[in-house]
Amino acid sequence: MDLFASALITGFGLGSMYGLLALGFYVTYAVSSTVNFAQGSTMMLGAVTGFTFGATLGWPWLLAVVLALAACMLWGVIVERLGVRPFAARGSDLWLMATVALGLVLENAVLFTFGKDPRGMPQSFLTGDALSAGGLRISVLQLTIPVVGVLLAVALHLYTRRTRSGTAMLAIVQNPDAARLMGIDVRRAVVGAYALSGLFAGVAGLLIAPLFTVSSSMGTLFGIKAFAVAILGGIGNPWGVMLAGLLYGSAESLITAAFGSTYTQILTFGLVIVALALRPEGLFGRAGVKKV
Amino acid sequence: MSRRGLTLVIGLCALAAVASWFGNGYQQYVIALVAITAIVGIGLNVLLGLAGQLSLGHVGFYAIGAYTSAILTLRFAWSFWLALPLAGVFAALAGALLAVPALRVRGPYLAMVTIAFGFVVEQSAAEMKGLTGGWNGIMDIPRPVLLGVTLNEFGLGVLSLALVALLSLLFARLRDSTWGLAMRATRDAEVASQSIGLNLVAIRTVAFVASAFLAGIAGALFAALSNFISPESFPFFQSISFLLVVLIGGAGTLLGPLAGAVVVVLLPEMLAFLAEYRLLFFGALLLLVLWLAPEGIVGAIERRLRRTDARAARPAEREVGAWLAGRGAAQSLEVEGLGIAFGGTRAVREVALTARAGEVTSIIGPNGAGKTTLLNLIGGFYRPDQGAIRLDGAALPAGVVWRVARSGVARTFQTTQLFPRMTVLENVLIALRQGRLGGVGPALAGRSRDDHAGRLAEGLLAFVGYAGPIERLAGALPHVDRRLVEIARALAMQPRVLMLDEPAAGLDDDDTTRLAALLQRIRSMGIVVMLIEHDMDLVMGISDQIVVLDAGRRIIAGTPGAVRVDPGVRAAYLGEGSLAIERASPRASAPAAETVLSVSNVTASYGNLPVLAGIDLEVRRGELVALLGANGAGKSTLMRAIAGLHRPVQGRVLLLGREIGLFRAHQIARAGVTLVPEGRQVFPELTVVENILLGALALDRRSALAEVERLIARFPLLGRLRNQRAGLLSGGEQQILALARGLAARPSIVLLDEPSLGLAPAIVGGLYQVLEELRAEGTTILLVDQMARLALSIADRAYVIRSGQVVQQGSGEALRHDAALEKAYLG
Amino acid sequence: MRVGGNAPAIRRIAGRALALAAGFVLSLAAHAADPIKIGLVAALSGPSAQSGEAITQGLSIAIGEINAAGGVLGRPLVLVRRDDESSPPKGATAARELIFGEKVAAIVGGLDTPVSLAIVPIINREHVPYMGVWAAGTPITRNGATPNFAFRVSAVDVMVDEALLKYAQKKYGAKKPGLILINNPWGESNEKGLREAAQKLGITLAGVEKFENADVDVVPQLTRLRNAGADALILVANAAPGAQMMKSRERMGWKVPVVSHWGVSGGRFPELVGPTAGDVVFVQTYSFFGEQGPIGQKVLSELKSKYKIAGPEGVFSPVGVADAYDAMHLLALAIAKAGTTEGDAVRKALQDIGEYKGLIKTYDKPFSETNHDALGPDDYIFVHYEGERLVPVK
Repeated sequence: MDLFASALITGFGLGSMYGLLALGFYVTYAVSSTVNFAQGSTMMLGAVTGFTFGATLGWPWLLAVVLALAACMLWGVIVERLGVRPFAARGSDLWLMATVALGLVLENAVLFTFGKDPRGMPQSFLTGDALSAGGLRISVLQLTIPVVGVLLAVALHLYTRRTRSGTAMLAIVQNPDAARLMGIDVRRAVVGAYALSGLFAGVAGLLIAPLFTVSSSMGTLFGIKAFAVAILGGIGNPWGVMLAGLLYGSAESLITAAFGSTYTQILTFGLVIVALALRPEGLFGRAGVKKV
Repeated sequence: MSRRGLTLVIGLCALAAVASWFGNGYQQYVIALVAITAIVGIGLNVLLGLAGQLSLGHVGFYAIGAYTSAILTLRFAWSFWLALPLAGVFAALAGALLAVPALRVRGPYLAMVTIAFGFVVEQSAAEMKGLTGGWNGIMDIPRPVLLGVTLNEFGLGVLSLALVALLSLLFARLRDSTWGLAMRATRDAEVASQSIGLNLVAIRTVAFVASAFLAGIAGALFAALSNFISPESFPFFQSISFLLVVLIGGAGTLLGPLAGAVVVVLLPEMLAFLAEYRLLFFGALLLLVLWLAPEGIVGAIERRLRRTDARAARPAEREVGAWLAGRGAAQSLEVEGLGIAFGGTRAVREVALTARAGEVTSIIGPNGAGKTTLLNLIGGFYRPDQGAIRLDGAALPAGVVWRVARSGVARTFQTTQLFPRMTVLENVLIALRQGRLGGVGPALAGRSRDDHAGRLAEGLLAFVGYAGPIERLAGALPHVDRRLVEIARALAMQPRVLMLDEPAAGLDDDDTTRLAALLQRIRSMGIVVMLIEHDMDLVMGISDQIVVLDAGRRIIAGTPGAVRVDPGVRAAYLGEGSLAIERASPRASAPAAETVLSVSNVTASYGNLPVLAGIDLEVRRGELVALLGANGAGKSTLMRAIAGLHRPVQGRVLLLGREIGLFRAHQIARAGVTLVPEGRQVFPELTVVENILLGALALDRRSALAEVERLIARFPLLGRLRNQRAGLLSGGEQQILALARGLAARPSIVLLDEPSLGLAPAIVGGLYQVLEELRAEGTTILLVDQMARLALSIADRAYVIRSGQVVQQGSGEALRHDAALEKAYLG
Repeated sequence: MRVGGNAPAIRRIAGRALALAAGFVLSLAAHAADPIKIGLVAALSGPSAQSGEAITQGLSIAIGEINAAGGVLGRPLVLVRRDDESSPPKGATAARELIFGEKVAAIVGGLDTPVSLAIVPIINREHVPYMGVWAAGTPITRNGATPNFAFRVSAVDVMVDEALLKYAQKKYGAKKPGLILINNPWGESNEKGLREAAQKLGITLAGVEKFENADVDVVPQLTRLRNAGADALILVANAAPGAQMMKSRERMGWKVPVVSHWGVSGGRFPELVGPTAGDVVFVQTYSFFGEQGPIGQKVLSELKSKYKIAGPEGVFSPVGVADAYDAMHLLALAIAKAGTTEGDAVRKALQDIGEYKGLIKTYDKPFSETNHDALGPDDYIFVHYEGERLVPVK
C-alpha cells in the first residue's frame, strides 16, 4: 500500500510538470493550430537562464526568475517569427521541422555558452521538507508544482473568461474571421500566444530545476512526454490538458511501482496509442462538426 | 517528366556506383548510407507524398527490418537474400497494425501516434534481451554473399543503389497507376475522393504497409552494412531525419527522396570537421533550406521546369454514349420523410421527393433552406435521423459515402472539389475506376493503365465541353473549367443519379447557356439529374420538376410554371406578402450630404474566379442602402472586401475620405466599419455579454461596460439572456446579438450581411422592425438581404448587382416595383 | 565552461575554419614532418558532452608534452576530434572517416560502450589500433577477434562489479544488496556483471531496478528495493541521474549505504545531490585530491593553466582526464617503439611495452597478446566526497 501511495504522490508531482509544459502547447494550438515542437528546449532555456542569473552571477533570485521568464517569452516570439509564421502563412506543415531545427540550434548554443556539465540548483527552502506522507517526505517544491500547475490552469481559465484580451483569444479559437471583425489583431494574438507558451515552459523549467539537474539536454524527453499529454488532453481546454498530465504522471509511476521500470515507457507510450485509437480527439477533446 | 526523371535517377545511381568504386572505405560507406536512406525516403514518399499521411515513427519500421534481418542471419544462419524480403514483410505487418489507430486520427494526433510507436519499438528492442541483445545490441552481423563474393561497403552500396533505381521505377509506376491516383486523390480532397467511390481506409492502409515494407528493407541493408545494431541506432531523432529526407527533397516527387537523402546524410558528414559545433550548424542550415525551398529542392525545380502538354481532349461521342448508358438506367430516386438535426437546428425535416430518370429535378429555396444538406444526406455524407432514400426501390447505404457512390450516385460540389495536384485527365481517370482499383501487383508492373480508359476519359472531357489542355494541373484551372471537369469526373462514375450543387455559380451568360445544353444532353441519356441552383433562368429553363425548400421543409413541388406563381415561393424569395414593416416616425435628421463609405471600381476574385468586376457605390451618413442581387452576384464578397476579410482587392475603398482598401480586417474594424457577417457568426462558447464586450474592444473597459448596458436596454430581448452562451441562442436571438455586437463599437457604418437568413418569417418581421428603428435613429447601414422586397421597404436607396457589376440603382421605393429586380431573382 | 569563460562560439568556429583553410594550403607543401594524426570519437555534444571534454583535456596535455619533447618519430602529434552524438551509427561513420579520410594512426574512444562496440569491428578489419579510455563494457577489448586491435586504459565492468559487491559485503556486511541501474547499455552491461559476481560470491540480490536519465523521481524503484529488504544499494549511473537517485533516497528517509560505479564522479556530484553526496562510496582509477606524485602535479598545473581550472574540485571527470593522459603516452611509446604508424606494428609494440611511469600508476607490461586492459582490480580505489573534495576511504 505504502508503495502505491508513494507512487501516486510521485506521479502527481511528475504529472503536473508534464501538464504545465503541455499548457504551452495548448495556448499556441488554440489560436494558430501550430505548436513549438521543441517546447522542451524552451523549458531548458528557463532553467538555464534562471541558474545563470541567480546562481552563477548571483543576482537576486526574483530578478533572475523574471529575466529567465522574459528570455523564454522572447524565445517564444522568435520561434513564431522564424519557425512558424513563414510556413503557417503558406498553409505548409513545415513549421514542425522548422521548430525542431530551432530547438536543435538552441540546445547546442546553450551547450557552448552554459557548459557541458549538468548543474544543480542551490538548496533552499523550496527543496526543504513540507510534510511527510506514507513515510515519504515531500518537499515544498513538490507541493508547489501541482499548485502552480493548477493555479496557472485556473489563471488561464480566468484570463480567458474575465479579461477582454483573454476573451479575445477565445474568440480567435472559435472564429478567427469574426474575431478580426471585432478589431482583434489575430497575428499579434498568435505572437502573444507563443510568448505565453514560452512563459509556461519557463515556469515549468524553473520549477523543475531544483528537483532535477540543469543542462542543455534536460528538456528533450520532457517535451515529448508533454506533447503526448497535450494530445491526450485533446489540446482543447486547459483543464483537460492538466488532467491528462496528472493521469500520465500517475500512470508512469504506478506502472513502475507495479512492474518495475523496465516496461514503463513501452506501456505508457502503448497506452497513448490505444487511448488515441479509442478516442481520436483525445481523452477530453471534443469532436468537431463534420463539414462538407 | 517521369521518364526523364527516371533516367536521371538511374544515371545518378550508376554515377554513384562508379564513384564508390574509386572511393575509400569511408566514402563507400557514406554512399551506401545515402542509398539506404533514400530507400526509406521512397517508402515515406508513398505515405506522405502520395497519400498525404505524416509519420514521425518510421524509425520503428526501420528498426524492425534491421532486427529481423540481423537475428535471422546471425542466430538462425539464414541467407541474407531470404532475410531481406522477410524484414520487409515484418515491418509491413507492423505497418498494417499501426494503420488501425493511425487512420482514426489526424494532424498532431497522428504525429503523436507515430512518435509513440517509434518509442515502443526502441524500448522493446532494449528489453527483449534474449532476442535483440538488449541495450548492447547485436554485433558481427554477417554480410551478404552473392555468387561467392562477400558484399562489403562497395557491394552493399551498389546493391542499395540498384534498389533505389528499381524502387524509383516502381514508385513512378505506382504514382501513375490506379492505386497511386487513388492515394493522391485522398490526399488532395478527402471528401471528393470518397464521392468517387474510393475507400479511404483501404487506400491509406496500403500506403502505410508499402511505406513500412521499404523501411524494413532499408533496415535490413543497414544492419548488414554497419555489422552492428542496438536500440541506440534507432533514436526518435532518426524519424525526424527520415521525414526531412522527403520534405527537403520534395514530397511526391520522383527524385525527392534521393536529393533529400543526399542532403540529410552528406551535409552532416561535410560538417564533421566542426566536431562539437556540427549540430549547431546543421540546425541552422536546415532552417535555411526550409526557408529557401519550402516545397523541397526537387519540388522547386520541377515547378520551374514544368511545361504543360497543350493537347486538348479528343472527342469520342460514341464511346461516351455507350459508357453512360452501360450501367442501365435507373427509374427513380425516392426520398421519404427525410430529416436531420444539427445541435438544436433541424436542417432538413420530413422532406419527400421523387426524381425520375430522364428528368431534371431542381431543388431551390432561399439560403439556409437545407438544399445542400439534402444532397449530403442522399450522398451518404450525413446519416439521416429519420426517413429513407431509395434508388429504384433499394435503400442506399446510409452514411457511407463511397458505397453510395459505387451504387451509382455521383455529385459535384458547391465550391468545386477537384484534386488540385492531379492533372485534368487524372481527375477523370481515377473516377472511371468507380472505386475498383484492381491489384497492387499489376499497378507495379505498369499494366494498370489502359488505353481504352484514356480514350474514354478524354471523350468525357470533350463531352462536357472542356477545351483546355488535359495535362494541366486541376488546381491551375480557370473557374469555368473546374465546373466542367468536375461534371466530367462525376460522369466518369457512370452514374445513375447525378447531383449538381450550384454548377452555374460564377459562370457568365454564355457559359451558363452551354451548361444548360450539357445538362439537357445528360438528361437525355436516362440519368436522374438533380440540381441545386440559384440562377433562375437556368432552373426555369431546363427543369422538369422543381422542389422548393424553406427552413428545411418542402413547401411545394411542381413544374416551373406552377412554382413561379406560387405565393409561398414569392414570399420565401422576395419577402413580400405577409410581412409589413411599420414605417417608423420620420427620421431624426434627414440624410446629410456627407459620404461615409465610397467604393469605386472595386474588383476582386476567388482564386481564378472573378467575383467583383468594377463596383461603384456610395453610402451617405444616416442612410440605409440596400445591396440586392441573386446569389453569386458578389454581394457578400463586396461586404467582405470592404471589411478587409477578402484580400487582395483592386480599386478604391474610402471611409470618410480615408483610403482603407489596404488595411487589414482588424484595422478596418477599428477605423469604424462593422460587418455583421452572414450566418451571424457569434462566438458560440462565449456569453451574450462577452460577445457584446468583444464588439466594444476599441473602447476602454468602463465605456465598454456602459455600452453593453445601453445595448441591452436597446434590445431588451438580450437582457434576460445576458449570461447565456451564445451558441444556445435561437437564430433570431443570435442575429440580434450579432447586431448588438456590431453596434457596440459605435461604428461609422454597419454592414449587414443577410440578416434574415434562415429565420422564421415572424422573427424576420421583428428584426426588420429593429432595423427600421435604427435607420430612424440615424445609423448608417449597408444592407444585403435575399429578401429583396423586404429590404427595399426600409431602404433609402438601393443598388442591384449582377455578375459583379452594378446593373441598376435608385430609391428603395422606385426599385420595389421594378421588373428588372424580379428578373434578377426569379428569372 | 563557465558563462563568459568561453569565447563566443561563432568566433571560435571562424577561427577553426580559417585554420582549416590554412591547413589545406600548408598540406600542399607537406614534407617529411607530416604530423601523426590521433583520432578521437567521443560525445562532444548532448548530455555526455562533458566526458568528451575531459578526454580531450587529458589527450591534449599528453600531446603537448610529447610534442614539446620533439614529437614521435620526429613528427608532431595532432588530435582530430569527431562528435559521435552518443549514437553508434554516427560513431561508426566517424571512425571510418578518420581511418580512410584523415588516415589517423590510432583512434581513441569515448564514454559510450555501444559506440565503442560499433567501432571495434571496423578497426579490427582495417588494422587501426583503438584505445578505449572510458567505456568499461567488457566485450570492447574481449571481442574475440584475432588479431585484436582494441586496447583499453580504463576500468572493466566485470572487475568493477565484483569489487563493488565485495566492498558492500565487507564494509557494510551487506547480505542482500539491491541494484539500482541506469537504463542504458552501460547499466545493462553491469547488470550482467553484477549478477554473475553475486553468484560467484554467493550473494542474493534483493532486486534489480532501472531508471532513466531523465527521471526526476526514483522513489517507486527505491521503494520496491526497500520492500524487498535491500540492505545496501549498488549504483550504476552518471552524476546527474545518480544525483536524482540520491535525492529520492533522501526524501524516503532511507539511510541505506550506497556503493557506486565511477559514473558519479563525472560532473558536479556534490552540487547536484546536496548534503547526502558523501554517503556514496565509489570506485575511481585516479584522484587529483590528496598528495600528488610528480606527474600528478604536472598534469594538475597544466589543467590549471590551459583550462582555467581552480583546483582538483574543478576536474569534473578525473578518470576521463587521467585515463586519456596515460593512454596517449602509451600510444606514443608504442609508435616510437614500432618505428612506424603502420597499425599492426603499433599493435605489436603496444603488447611489448615494458615499464612506463604513468599518472595512474607505474605500468609494467600493461598489455599482452591476451590482455588488452592496462588497469585491473588492484588499481581501483574507493573514495567518497567530503564537501567538494574526493577523499579515499579506508
